[in-house]
Amino acid sequence: MSTPIIEIKNLTKSFGSNLVLEDFSTTIQKGEVVGIIGPSGSGKSTLLRCINFLEIADSGSISIAGEEVKVDGKGGHSVPALKIAQLRTKVGMVFQQFNLFPHLTAIENIIAGPKYVLKEDQKEREQKARNLLEMVGLSEKMDHFPEELSGGQQQRVAIARALAMNPEVMLFDEATSALDPEIVGEVLGVMRKLVDDGMTMLVVTHEMGFVRQVADRVIFMDEGKIVEEGPPSQLFDNPKHPRTKDFLSAILSHTE
Amino acid sequence: MLFNIDNAYSALGVLSLGLLMTIFLTIICGATSLVAGVFVALAKMSKRRWLRAITGSYVTIVRSTPLLVQLIFIYYALPFVGIRLNPLSAAYIGLSLNVTAYLSEVYRGGIEAVSKGQHDAAAALGMKSSVAMRRVIFPQALRTLIPTLGNYIVSLFKDTSLASVVTIQELMFKGQIIAAQNYDYMTIYAMVFLLYLAVGYPSIRFVTYLEKRMKNGYAVKKASKRKVGVAL
Ligand SMILES: Nc1ncnc2c1ncn2[C@@H]1O[C@H](COP(=O)(O)OP(=O)(O)OP(=O)(O)O)[C@@H](O)[C@H]1O
Ligand SMILES: [Mg+2]
Repeated sequence: MSTPIIEIKNLTKSFGSNLVLEDFSTTIQKGEVVGIIGPSGSGKSTLLRCINFLEIADSGSISIAGEEVKVDGKGGHSVPALKIAQLRTKVGMVFQQFNLFPHLTAIENIIAGPKYVLKEDQKEREQKARNLLEMVGLSEKMDHFPEELSGGQQQRVAIARALAMNPEVMLFDEATSALDPEIVGEVLGVMRKLVDDGMTMLVVTHEMGFVRQVADRVIFMDEGKIVEEGPPSQLFDNPKHPRTKDFLSAILSHTE
Repeated sequence: MLFNIDNAYSALGVLSLGLLMTIFLTIICGATSLVAGVFVALAKMSKRRWLRAITGSYVTIVRSTPLLVQLIFIYYALPFVGIRLNPLSAAYIGLSLNVTAYLSEVYRGGIEAVSKGQHDAAAALGMKSSVAMRRVIFPQALRTLIPTLGNYIVSLFKDTSLASVVTIQELMFKGQIIAAQNYDYMTIYAMVFLLYLAVGYPSIRFVTYLEKRMKNGYAVKKASKRKVGVAL
């Protein structure tokens, strides 16, 4: 029996006259790792931001762990802000630009959510933060401020910060795109650990090799719609749609 | 001799009392404005339109009129509508209202300058907007604003001299009283000048120091902590 963690139904979103998501629907099952690929401007970030309610769609609905949120047609959500905040705790988000809190040390960044949102007690949250720092290989950087960490280290702290909320699903929006090529591997390594631990993940990335290795399903989107989806072997080796083929050959000619 | 040491010496006690009043006014009005400014800034950014309208008009009115006129109005005009304030209350209210308005603009600028990514990250952790403001946005804004806030407090220190028009016995007023008695304007006002300088100069140096320190980033604080740790 599969349990849907995220259900997206008929999501539409435009910025002004720019239609960014068009009648987008998909379901993410518990434990599933879904890679999302597509050209720049195809709406990948907007999709992730809608799932976390950072962006308000124009129509459609999103269910997180069975709780449905619609748009109210007046630029808001169908549930109160407090409920939105609570649903967000189930969804961990990792940003391209890390967005660590610069005034807090690495461990304080990780503790912030458990402390101010989950209201966990001090012992519990500190122990958890230490474990997470160890998991991302940064125990010795615990008391460093973000400005003292490399991009790859900051991103690993950001992943730990999201995990500290015990999320049901993790969203990665080009988590390695702002990093120097030689550092990308350390962040992908942490993400791979999460895959091994059975975390449900939605991964927007240009790292095709990574997607091919870890994803159960790959979605290729363009102009706000799913053009093609399927297991990585099928999508990468046997793309059906001409646009998928064009995109993949363009990407591969770049990386080779 | 232009500067009369004897006159200066005999005026020193009274002038020092005036300086104490000046400092007292600076502290109470400064503390009030530093706190009230935050709330006015938040009100100006509120979702509630009426709240934005009220605080917006207040700030605009204060910024469009001279402080001297504001003080005189509060002390000399308000009694005609039944609001009678003693000099200290009038000075306290007038100066605080004035500085709060300016500081609210400073706070608002600082809060708005914190990047969208910080709002997103806080929201994504499930923080309510009030929690995000308190734990994430405001601390970052405040840090960048400390030197600017410091400058406004130094300005307030100087502007308290205007409270002499509502008969507050601060440094300027004491100087005027003594000068009117002994006519030694040169000596007395030089003394007043020097006493302002004696407090004002170290204050602006301190603000400059804070500015430099801020530019050094967040890690500085910890580095000094670490050194202390080692020394212990
Ligand atoms: N806040 C916004 N306001 C206006 N337009 C926006 C906003 N955010 C995104 N867009 C527009 O929406 C479209 C999709 O953007 P989005 O960031 O979702 O694409 P993407 O697939 O993530 O692209 P990339 O690979 O470059 O990150 C783009 O045309 C972009 O300009
Ligand atoms: Mg994007």
